[in-house]
Amino acid sequence: MSSHHDNQLIHMTNQIAANLGGGRDEETAAAATCRHLETFWARSMKHRLVATLEREDAPLSPLAKRAVILLAEGLARRHAG
Amino acid sequence: MIQHFDPSQHASNAGHRKDLGTPFPAQAVGTASVSLDIDGVTISVPEGTSVLRAAALADINIPKLCATDSLEAFGSCRLCAVQIEGRRGFPASCTTPVVQGMKVTTQNERLAKLRRNVMELYISDHPLDCLTCPANGDCELQDMAGSVGLREVRYGFTGESHLDVVKDESNPYFTFDPSKCILCSRCVRACDEVQGTFALTIDSRGFDSKVSAGQNDAFMDSDCVSCGACVQACPTATLMEKSVIDHGVPDRSVVTTCAYCGVGCSFEAQMKGDQLVRMVPYKGGDANHGHSCVKGRFAFGYATHPDRLTTPMIRDSIDQPWREVSWEEAIGFAATRLKAIQAEHGRESIGGITSSRCTNEETYLVQKLIRAAFGNNNTDTCARVCHSPTGYGLKTTLGESAGTQTFDSVMKADAIIVIGANPTDAHPVFGSLMRKRLRQGAKLIVADPRRIDLLKTPHMSEAQHLPLRPGTNVALVNALGHVVVTEGLEDKAFVAKRCDTDAYNSWREFIAEPRHSPEATEAITGVPAEAVRQAARTYAMAGNGAIYYGLGVTEHSQGSTMVMGIANLALATGNIGREGVGVNPLRGQNNVQGSCDMGSFPHELPGYQHVADPIARGRFEAVWGVKLDDEPGLRIPNMFDAAIEGTFKALYVQGEDIAQSDPNTQHVEAALTSLDCLIVQDIFLNETAKFAHVLLPGSSFLEKNGTFTNAERRINRVRKVMPALAGKEDWQVTQDLANALGYPMHYTHPSEIMDEIAQLTPSFAGVSYAKLEEHGSLQWPCNAEYPLGMPTMHEVEFPIGLGRFAITEYVATEERANRRFPLLLTTGRILSQYNVGAQTRRTDNQRWHDEDVLELHPSDAELRGIRDGDWLGITSRAGQTVLRARLSERMQPGVVYTTFHHPGSGANVITTDNSDWATNCPEYKVTAVQVEKVSQPSAWQQRFSAFDLAQRDYLAKAQQEVP
Repeated sequence: MSSHHDNQLIHMTNQIAANLGGGRDEETAAAATCRHLETFWARSMKHRLVATLEREDAPLSPLAKRAVILLAEGLARRHAG
Repeated sequence: MIQHFDPSQHASNAGHRKDLGTPFPAQAVGTASVSLDIDGVTISVPEGTSVLRAAALADINIPKLCATDSLEAFGSCRLCAVQIEGRRGFPASCTTPVVQGMKVTTQNERLAKLRRNVMELYISDHPLDCLTCPANGDCELQDMAGSVGLREVRYGFTGESHLDVVKDESNPYFTFDPSKCILCSRCVRACDEVQGTFALTIDSRGFDSKVSAGQNDAFMDSDCVSCGACVQACPTATLMEKSVIDHGVPDRSVVTTCAYCGVGCSFEAQMKGDQLVRMVPYKGGDANHGHSCVKGRFAFGYATHPDRLTTPMIRDSIDQPWREVSWEEAIGFAATRLKAIQAEHGRESIGGITSSRCTNEETYLVQKLIRAAFGNNNTDTCARVCHSPTGYGLKTTLGESAGTQTFDSVMKADAIIVIGANPTDAHPVFGSLMRKRLRQGAKLIVADPRRIDLLKTPHMSEAQHLPLRPGTNVALVNALGHVVVTEGLEDKAFVAKRCDTDAYNSWREFIAEPRHSPEATEAITGVPAEAVRQAARTYAMAGNGAIYYGLGVTEHSQGSTMVMGIANLALATGNIGREGVGVNPLRGQNNVQGSCDMGSFPHELPGYQHVADPIARGRFEAVWGVKLDDEPGLRIPNMFDAAIEGTFKALYVQGEDIAQSDPNTQHVEAALTSLDCLIVQDIFLNETAKFAHVLLPGSSFLEKNGTFTNAERRINRVRKVMPALAGKEDWQVTQDLANALGYPMHYTHPSEIMDEIAQLTPSFAGVSYAKLEEHGSLQWPCNAEYPLGMPTMHEVEFPIGLGRFAITEYVATEERANRRFPLLLTTGRILSQYNVGAQTRRTDNQRWHDEDVLELHPSDAELRGIRDGDWLGITSRAGQTVLRARLSERMQPGVVYTTFHHPGSGANVITTDNSDWATNCPEYKVTAVQVEKVSQPSAWQQRFSAFDLAQRDYLAKAQQEVP
């Protein structure tokens, strides 16, 4: 597992969150960011990103982190369903 | 199965072959028709029609020389003289408009004598070398001499004449032989009226009059852009294609579609046997109406260039020579490797890239191969690196991932905003149409860091330039929106009726914040506040405001946001849903619209249907007979990252040169070298092919049947005019690979692929080859509701019902200038070269641009002691390359510019991995750099040179061996 690749995914997520964050309350913005990841990202990238939640030092922005938690919940639901 | 389209057999196209002498009258639309009598025949024509045209419509063919229906009437040759009852003299029928009840005589003794006398004067100063003249058999002067029955020239040939004037052969594609000139001015008028360059003029007066390119310059040294409109308009051999001089007059012609830019011009490929003699833009083509540029008309020689690959090749690793093999062996080798890699590394370890240069049918087949035979969604296309933000941005706001208008719509625009596009270079035929509208008085606003040539349009009315800093588009579009809202320039009725109220209210509140005012954003964009206010007013109050944009919008970290900002602006001012307005992305490659439509993106099946949508996916599964993955696959940059990481092992690339065109070349090279199997299908050994293990020869657009879709959603036929050089068309190769992988495909003609596309893609439901034959072209959506397609979109409602305003927060790019990298580099294209140059570099277009240079402002140059022509090292955070300097006032201080048409330039060695937040479209347009004088190529360039040499040698060795 290269942490360079992880950091790249985190960077992309932060960028998405920053762009979808403006003008929205945090809950809506987190949901929009999560929906963007669900719609556009490959399965492997989603799993990699969710795995970074385990890392203490993952530089996710607060909004991005909230979105990734939502994404993890969605993936778990899908897995269970 | 080859079916050639012959327009002469089709009623709707019959008119395009015949020259009616003068154009359809501009003011005729909606006006009354006029009846008149010509030689006893009664005919009704629209008011404003010329007598010449009316006669031609009644198949009464009045002799003519200076008249042609692509140009306004001029009335100089006097050959088309007629007699009109109740009028004196012999008026020229080309300049005489029809009048109700008019009685015209086109032929009698007096007229015949008059015409013979006119011809006699022309011929007295014209060489009598008809038998050896290149225009023999295709010369209007010759035809007219025959038509009027000229039998003698009483003046003799001993007097003063122009017969010894020297030819100008400076242009690589055509000659100018003034001895054959009859001074009809058709060339001058074509340059002015059709092309809009105004390079030609009639110099001097009386007997000394002559056609001149500028101030007595040779054509190559003049402003001429070599579009060839003058050559096409010339009635004699004065301006003549060198290919016709070399090979003779063509004997058959096939209508097809150009494979260069996204304008998608229709051409007659004029042939002798299976040799292409010349390309003549087709008058019946709805994208180009008989005009073309230097690429489409002249730069077709690459198709028969000796560098064309003709035999499949394989090798185990990229440091080995190639081995020429049979198609079966190459396909078998590829399939075995792909299967072995999937068995070892998993289903998702392989993928493919579809081509935006190949046909819709071929693109459809490649993504089908990936989804159905590879069993994953790892498919992407070069739109990733150009217009993917357009897809995202327009779908979010307007509900459809495409431009809203036809090209012709610009002729009804009153104000035109051009953002980050350079139509006179990159979309030349549309650029000429836009210039025509600007000459008629439409106002122009250009938002671009550079002073593009459109701003120098001769005879245009008002032009405003907003020279913004690279990377600040969103701040600028927000400022424009702010002015619209705060100065009460909105179209409130449109917004109330057509747009989602909640989204609108949120946007309105957001955009009205003082931080978006032009005064507040001036510090970011560098554009004076007053200029922004004036531009917003011009656009909003013009009547019809149209926005055209290019890669200067999309290729940014906020490309998608900017596209939405543009859509917001059009919605707020009600500039959508009719002719003359709209949001118009100018597409780069010939079929980039088509490749997006055909499901090249990893998250979307054909017709922009998401892979997670169970209903859409279910329909594909039923027809394709396999279970499809419901998760999006990897995008191109994600594939590169995964390859470097070791989880992505094989790639099938059709007609795309990622090693040259994608950003951060060293990163791309690292990814390509990490692959265990790279399969490249291309017409040349392109840069990507040098990293390949399997080389499958591709077919040029002249060698196959199919369709391209241009930037106005127009589906146009591509027709085979010569056999495929390597024996297979590209779709056949993909089909073979699918079969070898155990997924059966059995198409016998691309029309069958189109039938399947129509079955599965709602916006293509009504498209078939039969219908395309009948109507020439169709603009999607084409379905039961719109059986003949939809030229203007969103007239009644949006595909998502109501238009959705989007919040467009400006987030500055992380790529910023600082002390170490004080300049901003932006990249672009020029007229004569196309994209990575693989095609145009193998033609005489090289004469205009044989190297990429770095343009910089004289003040930046002076600061660094740089002179024009010096070698410059350009260093960014990603890498370094060396280019020659060109000082240019087109640049603003602090911004430098280059093109990427030559691989050795390494323009993309310096571009970075930064990308659009929504689509990963690379940020080609902003790279912080430093430049300094150097004396040798960069380390990358030296490595590139050695690698290139070795790879060419591997190819040459394979080709020398006789199997």
